[in-house]
Amino acid sequence: MKQILAPIVSNSEIIPDVHLIRIEAPQVAAEARPGQFITACCGDDVLLRRPLSIHRIEEGQLALLFAVVGQGTAWLANRKQGESLDILGPLGNGFKVQQNTHNILLVAGGIGIAPLVCLAEKAVDDGISVKLILGTATATQHYSEVDGVEIIRVTEDGSLGEKGMVTDLLPSIAGWADQLFACGPISMYRTMAAMGTEIEGKSVQILLEQVMGCGVGACRGCAIPTHQGMKMVCQNGPVFDLREIMWEQITAPKIGQF
Amino acid sequence: MTNPDLSIQLAPNNHKGLLLTNPVMAASGTFGYGTEYADVIDIQKLGAIVSKGITLQPRQGNPQPRLVETPSGLLNSIGLENIGAEALIKEKAPLWNQWQVPVIVNIAGESVEEYAEIARMLNGVEGISAIEVNISCPNVASGGAEFGIDPQMAATVTSAVKQATNLPTIVKLTPNVTDIVQIAQAVVEAGIDSLTIANTFKGMAIDTVKRQPVLGNTVGGLSGPAIKPLVLHLVYRVAQAVEVPIIGCGGIASANDALEFLMAGASAVQVGTATFVDPQVMIQIVDGIGRFMHQQEIANLNQLIGTAILR
Repeated sequence: MKQILAPIVSNSEIIPDVHLIRIEAPQVAAEARPGQFITACCGDDVLLRRPLSIHRIEEGQLALLFAVVGQGTAWLANRKQGESLDILGPLGNGFKVQQNTHNILLVAGGIGIAPLVCLAEKAVDDGISVKLILGTATATQHYSEVDGVEIIRVTEDGSLGEKGMVTDLLPSIAGWADQLFACGPISMYRTMAAMGTEIEGKSVQILLEQVMGCGVGACRGCAIPTHQGMKMVCQNGPVFDLREIMWEQITAPKIGQF
Repeated sequence: MTNPDLSIQLAPNNHKGLLLTNPVMAASGTFGYGTEYADVIDIQKLGAIVSKGITLQPRQGNPQPRLVETPSGLLNSIGLENIGAEALIKEKAPLWNQWQVPVIVNIAGESVEEYAEIARMLNGVEGISAIEVNISCPNVASGGAEFGIDPQMAATVTSAVKQATNLPTIVKLTPNVTDIVQIAQAVVEAGIDSLTIANTFKGMAIDTVKRQPVLGNTVGGLSGPAIKPLVLHLVYRVAQAVEVPIIGCGGIASANDALEFLMAGASAVQVGTATFVDPQVMIQIVDGIGRFMHQQEIANLNQLIGTAILR
């Protein structure tokens, strides 16, 4: 974990209301793993640092992909090349790919694509076959391509790929995978948690988001109820086993907070 | 001028004393057990660390959501999630014993006897420099602030803890009372070494879409810059009414904030929410106080304390 002032290399809106920021952060990039996050100071008008998934790790740089959902992320979206970001990270546990895994299936709902691209690129480098089911409300929200990854596209309005939800397609593809990794809204996780034989016996890792105070386990603010008691999204997560979480007790974070 | 002396004695009447090299400490509940931020700041440079409030038995804490950001503030309802007194003594104290920075253990009970029991357990444990008695947590059903809103009850808890330990003892007061001065005077009469003023202010937020409180426990405690002027005033009033050292705690986020508290009569300050914003802030406050004293040619911190009190 390091706290640094990271120069912004680029910042662009690659999807409506979704920004990609690249920062020079060699000290953090050197330690970072897929599924981890950083927190960033987001100006004087919001108090808390905002947690952001690491989207890509590339030669001393980090790419952060985020949706503009509140005051903090709006400030971030307006940052220009040449300015710097006060970041703290890498934080959290990250995804765990098992040694004997050959095929992984990634399940992304909307902005949930952000941390999964990082995992996909690392897995492709390691010779693992990667498929990604990506679902959004409509076609214009779709992410472009990821080298070496087969993307199965889904939209709620049917404007691209299959019409429906990622969880509609998941059962038919899950059998191929040794491990599943998902990032998306709580409703998507709830549907997955309720699935029976379709994903039975598969390791399913999911990434949670929660309003955070400290990001390092000090304040106990980002608690999540699990079958092993309360756990911290920042310290024990953000990656959890799908079946570890007590989904019936979860309240989705109030998104305007970010 | 030689380097100004930032050291401060917070328990002059206790035979062990509580001597800090500088007046800036991490507030309870915002710095875990002292290790969480160790990668990014030199914790040994802090005046002291107050650990997360500890109870006799481990606690899971309150349901989520536990945090809401408000304008210049943070509402929390953690509910004293902690590892319990026994685990703290076994797992954390040995580590603290190797540190230069004093660690103060914040304790919370559900009864007077429980406060005394925890104080007895901590007495003589290497690595623990003082006890901060939490009679002000707004987020637990029993215990916590119920002991801090009545002068007599506050004094009873104080006496019980004092009898159970030789450690320097601080009481952390709640601001959610009609007259904090009365409570402060009662615990001072009961023999407390110093006072922390104050814990968080009770508050809430409502999700207008769901038409229900945002926090899992409905009500929380407000901290952050929003409460700084309120707490500064409490310190200013209590400082004129009691003789024991006061530790100011509430929205402090800069050296200038800390100086205001010192001039209002605090002998030291605790920093909490501001650490979440910038983990370096406490070190910057220590440096900033030192710079101010150097510029103003103030040799000793004691020369600053209470200097804004009109007499």
